Amino acid sequence: MALGAWLELIGSGLITGGVYALVALGMNLQYGLMRILNIAHGEFLMVGAYLTWMVHTAVGLSPVLMIPVAFLVLGVAGMAIHFLCFRRLVSTSPNLDIFEARGLMVAFGLMFLVQNLVSWLWGGDLRGYDFLTDPVSVAGAPVAGNKLLVFALALLFSLGMLALLRATLLGKGVRALMQSSVGAQLVGIDTKRLHPMMFGLGLGLSGVAGCLLSMAYTIAPSMGEPYTVTALIVITLGGFGSMGGALLGGLLLGVVEAVGMHYTNPSLKALLSYAVFIAVLLLRPEGLFTRKTRKA
Amino acid sequence: MSQGPDFKQRRRVIQGAVAASALSFAPGLMAQAAPVRVGYTMSRTGPWTGGAQVSQEPNFLLWAEQQNAAGGLDIRGVKRRIELISSDDRSDVETVVRTYEKLMGSDKVDMVLPPWGSNANFAVAPLANRFGYPFLAPTALSRRLVEMKLPFFFLLLQQPKSMCDALVDMFKANGVRSVACIYVDDLFGLENYAAFKVALQGTGINLVEDKSYPGGVKDLSPVLRSIKDKNPDAFVGFTYPPDTILASRQSKEIGLNPKIFYASVGTAFPLYKNVMTPAGAEGVMGMGSWNGKTSPGAKAYFDAHLASQKKEPDRWASGACWAGLEILTAAVKQVGLDRKAIRDYVANSTHKTIIGDIRFQGSENVGTPGTVGQWQNGEFEVVWPAARATAKLNPNKSAWK
Repeated sequence: MALGAWLELIGSGLITGGVYALVALGMNLQYGLMRILNIAHGEFLMVGAYLTWMVHTAVGLSPVLMIPVAFLVLGVAGMAIHFLCFRRLVSTSPNLDIFEARGLMVAFGLMFLVQNLVSWLWGGDLRGYDFLTDPVSVAGAPVAGNKLLVFALALLFSLGMLALLRATLLGKGVRALMQSSVGAQLVGIDTKRLHPMMFGLGLGLSGVAGCLLSMAYTIAPSMGEPYTVTALIVITLGGFGSMGGALLGGLLLGVVEAVGMHYTNPSLKALLSYAVFIAVLLLRPEGLFTRKTRKA
Repeated sequence: MSQGPDFKQRRRVIQGAVAASALSFAPGLMAQAAPVRVGYTMSRTGPWTGGAQVSQEPNFLLWAEQQNAAGGLDIRGVKRRIELISSDDRSDVETVVRTYEKLMGSDKVDMVLPPWGSNANFAVAPLANRFGYPFLAPTALSRRLVEMKLPFFFLLLQQPKSMCDALVDMFKANGVRSVACIYVDDLFGLENYAAFKVALQGTGINLVEDKSYPGGVKDLSPVLRSIKDKNPDAFVGFTYPPDTILASRQSKEIGLNPKIFYASVGTAFPLYKNVMTPAGAEGVMGMGSWNGKTSPGAKAYFDAHLASQKKEPDRWASGACWAGLEILTAAVKQVGLDRKAIRDYVANSTHKTIIGDIRFQGSENVGTPGTVGQWQNGEFEVVWPAARATAKLNPNKSAWK
C-alpha cells in the first residue's frame, strides 16, 4: 500500500479515535474521581446531539456555536443529576464498593429514562443536517471538513481537560481525590463541591461530543449506547482514572479499527475491538498507559 | 353506606330504562360499542425506529384516522371504529414475538398488523400461521420467508431477486462493466447480496469488491477507499438508513464518484434529501418503487400523509404499506372478519392499489416488478423499468456536490 493510502487510513482512524477519546474522558473522570460508572454517558451525548440538531434546524445557528451551549446545558444537568441521585447514594452507602454497585444501577435507570425522554420529545426518526461535508485536502488526503473540525475540537477539549487536571489547583485537587478520597478530605479539599462539579464537567464533555458527532453522523435516540461501550473499552485500554491514557487509548482504538477493517472486513470490527480489550485485560489489566504501581 | 330498598328499586328501573332505550337505537349504538381491535408492535425505541417510524407506523395511524373519520371500517356493510392496540417492541425480536403471542393468543384481537423489518417479520411469520392471522408485511425482504410457504403470511415488497434483477438489467442496458458491493451482515444484506451475485452471473459485469459490514457501523471509509482504488463503474450498497447516509457522506469525502451510486433502505426517505441536500442527492439511486406521479391514488395518499403525519412518506416501503392496508380494507369489506376468508381473499385476488396491481403467488407479491429509483431535482423518481418509470434514468451521476 502506498504511503499516501496509509496516511489516509491512519488519519481516518485518528478522527474516529478522537471522538472515542472525548467520550471516554468524561466517563473516566466520573469513574476515576467518584467511582460512578456512568452507563448513561452515551445517552447524554445523544442529548447534546439532539440539542445541536434542534437549534441548528430551527433557527439556523451554526453547530459550532452550539458547542458551549451543549457543554453548559449538559454540565448543569450533570450537577442536578448528581445532586438528585448520587449525593444521596454517597451518604447512604456503607462503603465504596456498595456505592459503586448502586451507582451502576442508578446509571442504568438514567440510561432508559433519558433515551425514552428523547424518544418522547423528538420521536424515533433518524435526524441529521448538512454541515461542512465538502472534502478538504490534508497532506494530499481528502477529509470531510466536518470530520476535521470534529477531530480538531475533540483533541482540543481532551488536551484542555488534561491541562486543567495537570496545571491548575483545581486539577490538583481532583487528582488528589482520585488518589485518595479520605486523604484529600483531610487536607481540606471540599468533596461536596468538587464531586458535582466534576460530574457536571464529565456530562458537559459528553454534550460537546454529541454536538460534534451530530455534524458528521445521523442521530437517533439509540445512538448513545455503542459509544458507552466503546468508551468502556477505551478506559480499560488507557487505565481506569488515567486521563492521558483515555486520550491515547481512544486514538489507538480508532487506528486499530481502521487498519483492521482495511485488511479484514468491517464486519470484524467488533471482534478487533474486543480482541484488543481482552488482550489488555489479560496482559496488562492496569491499562496500557498507566504505571504498574497504580491499582487496576 | 347502606342503601334502602326504595333506592335499589329506583336504580333497577333506571338501569332497565337505559338498557331498553339502548336496544331501540341498535344497531347504531351496538356498532359504536364494539370497535374492531387491531393489534401490532412497532419500534418506537431502539435501532429499528428510524425505519419503523418512517415506513410503517405513520401509515397505520393514518389508516385508522381516515377510516374512523369516515365512520369506521366497513365490515360487510357495517361500519365499526378501529381501535389500535399497539406497543413499543424496543427493536427487540423477543419482545415482538411475545407481544404477538399475547395479541393473537390471549387478547384475541380481530386483526393484526405486522412489525417492522425482515428480522422481526421472520420471527413472527410462523406465529401468524399457528394462530391463523393474515399478515401483510410491507417491510420484509427475504427469500427464505417465501420458501417457508406460510399460507397466512404475505410479503408486499418486491423481494431480493426481482429488485436485483431489475438493477442488473439496468446495468446491462447502460454499459456497466464493473461493480463494487457492500452489504450489512444480517438477513436483509446477505439475501440481497446473494441475489445480486446470482443476477450478475453470465452478464460479464465484473464484481471487483464485495465486503460486509456490521449494523451501526461508524466508519466505512477504509472499505470505500479500497473501492475507489478499483474505480468501478457502479457502487451498490445493501444498506440500512444510517449506513446509507454514512456511505454517501464518506464517498463524497474521499471522492468515490462512480457513474452509478446505488444504496438501499433510506435512499427513498425524505431524510436522505434533507441530510445530503437536494444537490448532494442528485443522481443517487436506490430501492424505490413509487412517488406521487405513480397514480392518482398515490398522490392522494402522499398529500394525506403529509397533512396528517406532518412528514412525507418514503418512496419505497410506505407505498407498499399503504397498499397492504388498502388490501386489508377491501378484504374485510368483502368477507368480514373471518380470518381464513380474509386470507383466501388476499391470496386469490388481484388487488388494485396505489402502487399498481398486486397479486400473490404463495407469500410473494408477483404483481409489482423490481424497480430502481433515483433522486432527480429533489424528488425520488422511479427510473427502471421503463414501464414503471416516473422520470427518465440518468446513468451518469455527476461528482458529489
